Amino acid sequence: MRTELETHGDDRRDNMTLPLALLRTAVVLAFAALAVGFWRLQVVQYDKYHQLAENNHQRTLGLRAPRGVVFDRDMGVLIENRNSLNISLVREQVDDLESTISLLSEVSGVPVAALQSVMDRSRRAPAYQPIVLIPDATIGQVSAVAAHALEMPELVVQQLPARHYPATEVAAHLFGYVGEVSDSQLASPEFDGVRSGTVVGKSGIESIYNQLLMGQDGARHVVVDAIGREIDTIGETAPTEGRQLQLTLDYDLQAAAEAAFKAGGFDGAAVVLDPRSGEILSLVSLPAYDPNAFAMGIDSDTWSSLIQDGRRPLNNRALQNLYPPGSIFKIAMAVAALEEGIVSADFTVRCAGGGTFYDSWRNCHSTHGTVDLREALEKSCNTYFYTLGEMMEIDQIHKWATALGLGELSGIDLPYEVQGLVPSTAWKREARGEPWYPGETISVAIGQGQVTVTPLSLAVMMATVANGGTRVTPHLLKAVNDGDGWTQAQPPGPRSQVHLSPETLSAVTDGLWNVVNRAGTGGRGRIEGRDVIGKTGTAQVISLDGRAALGESNPEYFDHGWFVFAAPAHAPEIAGVVFGEHNEHASLSATIAKHVMETYFAKQKGRPLPVLPLPATPQGVPLVSVVAGTGN
Amino acid sequence: MLERRLYRHIDWLLLLAIGALCAIGVTMIYSTTYDPTTGSAGSEVSTQLLALGLGLVALVIMLSVDYRWLADAWLTIFLGLIALLSYVLLFGVVDGGARRWIGLEVFNLQPSEFARIVVALALATLFAGRRRGPQTASGWGWTALIVGAPFLLISQQPDLGAAVTLLPVTFGILVFAGLRLRYVAVLVMLAVLTAPVAWTYALEDYQKQRISSFLDPGQDPQGAGYQQIQAKITVGSGGPLGKGFLGGTQSQYNFLPVAHNDFIFSVLAEEQGFLGVVVALGLYLFVILRGLDAARLAKDRIGTFLVVGIMSGFAFQVIYNIAMSAGLAPVKGLTLPLMSAGGTSIIASLAAFGLVLNVRMRRFTN
Repeated sequence: MRTELETHGDDRRDNMTLPLALLRTAVVLAFAALAVGFWRLQVVQYDKYHQLAENNHQRTLGLRAPRGVVFDRDMGVLIENRNSLNISLVREQVDDLESTISLLSEVSGVPVAALQSVMDRSRRAPAYQPIVLIPDATIGQVSAVAAHALEMPELVVQQLPARHYPATEVAAHLFGYVGEVSDSQLASPEFDGVRSGTVVGKSGIESIYNQLLMGQDGARHVVVDAIGREIDTIGETAPTEGRQLQLTLDYDLQAAAEAAFKAGGFDGAAVVLDPRSGEILSLVSLPAYDPNAFAMGIDSDTWSSLIQDGRRPLNNRALQNLYPPGSIFKIAMAVAALEEGIVSADFTVRCAGGGTFYDSWRNCHSTHGTVDLREALEKSCNTYFYTLGEMMEIDQIHKWATALGLGELSGIDLPYEVQGLVPSTAWKREARGEPWYPGETISVAIGQGQVTVTPLSLAVMMATVANGGTRVTPHLLKAVNDGDGWTQAQPPGPRSQVHLSPETLSAVTDGLWNVVNRAGTGGRGRIEGRDVIGKTGTAQVISLDGRAALGESNPEYFDHGWFVFAAPAHAPEIAGVVFGEHNEHASLSATIAKHVMETYFAKQKGRPLPVLPLPATPQGVPLVSVVAGTGN
Repeated sequence: MLERRLYRHIDWLLLLAIGALCAIGVTMIYSTTYDPTTGSAGSEVSTQLLALGLGLVALVIMLSVDYRWLADAWLTIFLGLIALLSYVLLFGVVDGGARRWIGLEVFNLQPSEFARIVVALALATLFAGRRRGPQTASGWGWTALIVGAPFLLISQQPDLGAAVTLLPVTFGILVFAGLRLRYVAVLVMLAVLTAPVAWTYALEDYQKQRISSFLDPGQDPQGAGYQQIQAKITVGSGGPLGKGFLGGTQSQYNFLPVAHNDFIFSVLAEEQGFLGVVVALGLYLFVILRGLDAARLAKDRIGTFLVVGIMSGFAFQVIYNIAMSAGLAPVKGLTLPLMSAGGTSIIASLAAFGLVLNVRMRRFTN
């Protein structure tokens, strides 16, 4: 070739061989370098880039599991799920967040600030995860967004299961409410494996049985393109609905109790249970709230109005508040005195409208003359129980009050229960660093002084007296359905058990029967043929002197009225407590109890449930005048 | 014009390799523009096939005309190029913020793609007649004029990438024309020294962005660094054997922008793996070395210089684009000759190879 070229080439020069060789070498080296570069990426680092590519185009979208449906003891639906429409934003598809938010605000009527604050809160969420901007959107909002789909392609309408409480405010505190899991909850072991944004129970049954109710979220694995559009579904794990729960609650009794409170025109609490088992039939706290408001995240206005409300609607009065038991405590006193052998039921005291104890005169609210224990209970004679108090050690009272469940946690399956107090020498030493002064026992004897109880613990006391000494654990869970059928829940065993002698039981029962069925203060609880036993009590809000000084017109200072009850007297199957907040008259609480019991018995016989007459008197006006004093 | 005896001297092997690369290119364009919902590929495929047809015509024309005849007409051709580039600047089609195209019925003609050939032809002709090499005042002067005029016009479009490809063409020819080593050193030094100045004054912000994000792609993963990161993921996830035809997730789901164009090689790497990369690299290397053969075989200095200029530009563009497609070089709007979708690029590349074949074929003629 070369010779040919040299022969033919006219101006060819040999000095081109070197640059040509250099050029070729350079090219070959460059290609070798490229090959090495590709080798490193494609062979050496393949795993890393393979993973990166997978992450690029595969997304896992959570499918929210519906929470378990909750039934009452008759399998009526208490809590269920509904579909909610939610307007969500997929951040990775956002072009101009500001204009999207302002347009969304314009078409939906939701203020820009509210939308912006959702975005700020969700800053840490992955960019492909839809952020719910308008939870539980109205049809109008959804169609407005759909109409602007072209301008706001980053908005999607998601259908999510949301909690629904068909009874709205009825049994609100018992059911509780749900909300997004909080950071502090996430940190606790109970919420292991729960992702942020998950809806969990925040109070009531929803909270305490959250694990059962929660279900298992599903997931959909999808292929998306660079702008986040879903191209294909490559796998789906269906969500598993939470377990269904059957509660011991009797919705009819619950509704009857709440209706009776409404008819009475006052707030308060009530606990009704089966004294044989501890099954809660009804648990009321008023005022209530609508748990539906929390289902898809509560808006800040509703929330702040709830927490700023002076009536404290979120507070479960049945077990979160402490009140003096007043005369109800006389039941515990009677039991303690009889069981300790301090007196027999025939022991009599002469009431002259009061008496002198430890050198000071103590009032009774009436002059009862000579009364025995049965009559003292019936008439709620303070003088009689002052006398017992004078004869007894505080620790004897403490022992028996505790055995009946006072000053103790009931162990109910609801959160935030508080513990009342029945004082003892040990408590006084520990809490105050002082010895117990016998004079203090006099106040305790009529349920005042340091004694405090929750309404729930009084219901437990009544159940314990009614069943002869077994301190049952009040509970709400009856059965669980994990999808394969119902399994009865193991009922919690009794908290404690004491033997109450037949003499004690007969004396106390007789006294309490008299309260309702003879001249006693609980006449409004009487039901013909049902042998209702009961006891009224007054929880003073402020001292009589204080009240006199402030004037009596302010309902804030009205006394609370108690009524505890059980029926039928000799084989009780229903027991409980009604607490009327500032209702001033315990007899009004007895009216509520009567309505609940009538409903119970009507239902048992298959008769139509009783209907409450409309409130006969305007709210707050006393029906009967009662002598001011303690323990009516 | 094409005599029968010349026909025997056509480098069929080179043509075959070029054809193979073009075929791979069309396949990859098909794959990246394939839409699974309609089951068909985008219009880019037919455009590319049309361009290949036109390119083949251009190749035959460039093959048929004696390159010495073209050399004689270099000034006319050069002025024609300047006219076209000026026309683009004044009346061109604007797309993506740049004015680079002349609107035609089927596709937009991008005159800057032809600038390399014209500059190669002009410089080859110039230095073929200058025995003393480029290091004379008039040598430098002509070089500056021939390279500088189109360079300025193209960089004003702005298309710095295309303008820069004129430099390897020029440099290749200068070296072969007898540029002494110390001048080479001076040129290299000049480049190093002017780099900071160019950085400060000559580069647009988006160009600086590209370079700084190349040095640290993580600093702006959604912005300028995005393409580079995605390019690496695309290539790396292809693995040794690739994800298969139409199986590339990066390209199919548009994670890699302009995949059918500047990043066509990434798609090849993703779907055909390292194996496919080696085959394609081998073909390109063969085309370059085989093309350079023509420079050795050329009968005259014009032929040698012309081939060297064309092949230097080609080699530079291929190497740079492939490096960029694997995230190994800053992102720059440079197509991969013979494979990237782009009408003008294909036509110009095939026309250029027409000239290379021309030189080789006419090595025995007078």
